[in-house]
Amino acid sequence: MAESLSPGEFSSSLTSSASLPPPRTRIFKIIVIGDSGVGKTCLTYRFCAGKFPEKTEATIGVDFRERLVDIDGEKLKIQLWDTAGQERFRKSMVQHYYRNVHAVVFVYDVTNAASFRSLPAWIEECKQHALGTEVPRILVGNKCDLQDSVQVGTDVAQQFADSHSMPLFETSAKNPNSQGGINSGNSDHVEAIFMTVAHKLKSQKPLVLSQPPAGSGASINLSSRMEDGTDGSRGWACSSC
Amino acid sequence: MKAEEKVNPYDPFRIFWLSLHFVNLYVYPSLHSDPVDVETLRRAAASKGGLLSNELRRKVWPKLLNINVYELPYKPGKDGRENHKDYNQVVLDVSRSMKRFPKGMPSAERAVLQEQLVDIILEVLRCNPQLSYYQGYHDVAVTLLLVVGERMAIAMLHTLSKYHLRDFMDPTMDSTKHILNYLMPILEEVDKELHDFMIRAEVGTIFALSWLITWYGHVLSEFKHTLRLYDFFLASHPMMPIYLAATIVLHREQEVKQTECDMAMLHHLLSRIPQDLPYELLISQSQDLFRCYPPALLAKRPALQSRKSLSISTFKDFQLSTLHQRPDTVLQPRHSGLDVALPYDGVQQRGKGSRMVKMAVWGLSATLGAAIFAVAQTAMEWAPDVLLQLF
Repeated sequence: MAESLSPGEFSSSLTSSASLPPPRTRIFKIIVIGDSGVGKTCLTYRFCAGKFPEKTEATIGVDFRERLVDIDGEKLKIQLWDTAGQERFRKSMVQHYYRNVHAVVFVYDVTNAASFRSLPAWIEECKQHALGTEVPRILVGNKCDLQDSVQVGTDVAQQFADSHSMPLFETSAKNPNSQGGINSGNSDHVEAIFMTVAHKLKSQKPLVLSQPPAGSGASINLSSRMEDGTDGSRGWACSSC
Repeated sequence: MKAEEKVNPYDPFRIFWLSLHFVNLYVYPSLHSDPVDVETLRRAAASKGGLLSNELRRKVWPKLLNINVYELPYKPGKDGRENHKDYNQVVLDVSRSMKRFPKGMPSAERAVLQEQLVDIILEVLRCNPQLSYYQGYHDVAVTLLLVVGERMAIAMLHTLSKYHLRDFMDPTMDSTKHILNYLMPILEEVDKELHDFMIRAEVGTIFALSWLITWYGHVLSEFKHTLRLYDFFLASHPMMPIYLAATIVLHREQEVKQTECDMAMLHHLLSRIPQDLPYELLISQSQDLFRCYPPALLAKRPALQSRKSLSISTFKDFQLSTLHQRPDTVLQPRHSGLDVALPYDGVQQRGKGSRMVKMAVWGLSATLGAAIFAVAQTAMEWAPDVLLQLF
């Protein structure tokens, strides 16, 4: 599956993890779901390999990518499970990969209203796989560089995100800086999205950390949208209570 | 020391040369015998080297699937195709399938073929409402299209969908999962340690999903390797792709055992198929595996009893039906108005020049064939045991 995407994204983490002995690297497993063609493969590739893939093909089954990140001096392994979008793969195929998931990223395409309308089905799907409410979820509206063909307005998406207690990010895997926002400046927005999740997960795991959980608010600053006030941080604040 | 001990049986040149010999001695006569000698064609497609050229594939593939070249489906019209429930998904997958087309093909030409690809997929689905499209079906369709052209691709895809790919085309993927469930039992029979390691890691079998449902077309970057496997699978039992999957995992046994016993690590390792696999060796090993542990034997396991595979249960009848085909020389209609579908690399030949080109090619093939026949005869005189041990 997408073998052309493989080399760069993985080798770095393999070599760096090999040089990390005893203090076990914590692994966070994030599943990325959403309709076919919304850009799940591009987003995960963008984060793990640092660039937009030239050509992506339909994902058949499940693809796996990972990256080692450093958060507050701790090395964390972020595993992204990139899933097939076609409905038939969900039921019997992908379920194996929902196990022990630490976070869920829902993706829709801002230029495709149908992919937004499918979100409730994807949320239901998560419920059926017994993912508790404590598992952080985020909503990503992809392809926002295609400004002329936007079909899903930010207001509608924000409302939806709020009603499901999720933070919303609008971005473009192709051109992550296009969603400049107030605070993002030249920073890489896709990077920021996954790093936000990583921060959230790091702060949320008191049992594994064996130390008091850090303030969950700290992780939220990465997104311009998060600072607008009435956003999904509410959901997260609740979930970490 | 015997001569054959020095010979590497997987030397590509040797395989090519011997296959060519096989083609001329056996394949052409089989195509022309009445009824067509499908058994020999199967052996040729599965044996070392496969069918070698697309020209030969265009002749042999239809026979393997019991297709009459002179009664092909008509080119589908575009009317109402966007009303099909899978239209959007098919278009989406086809438009992302650029990698499947030859490098350097002009984009306009590729666009025409992609349109045809959408057409043939929807045409087969339209004729078979009981079949559901799956992502990966387009990888099978494109391989056929590039070799045999639009109309023959429809006919072949139609037959494959009813038989070999049938289990993957249910509304759900439960039957596909059932076929994947044969993988671990095969591994267990051959290498218990490897099997137990993979079970401990809980790697599952999804890493082999795209191999199975696209006949490896989705994961191989060299089209010639895909073609070689298609020769093999078209000539084999529908379960053969799973036996090849087992062979590939067994081939990588050392790598697997040296990897951390962890689902993610193993899934990552196994799902990325090495591009330099020794295909001829793996093909013959999968045939051995199939002989030692046939599906019927594995199906007795409790885990595999719950479900029946349509592809398996219909295969015997399908195979029997292929044995009564008349050769093209007999099938060919007396009036020559009928247009045999031309494949991709023949598109430009359409029209008056076509017949001349065909005759020239035929003449050339015949001369070459005769020359090779002579060489083969000489070789048979000099080292018959070396040659015969292969067949």
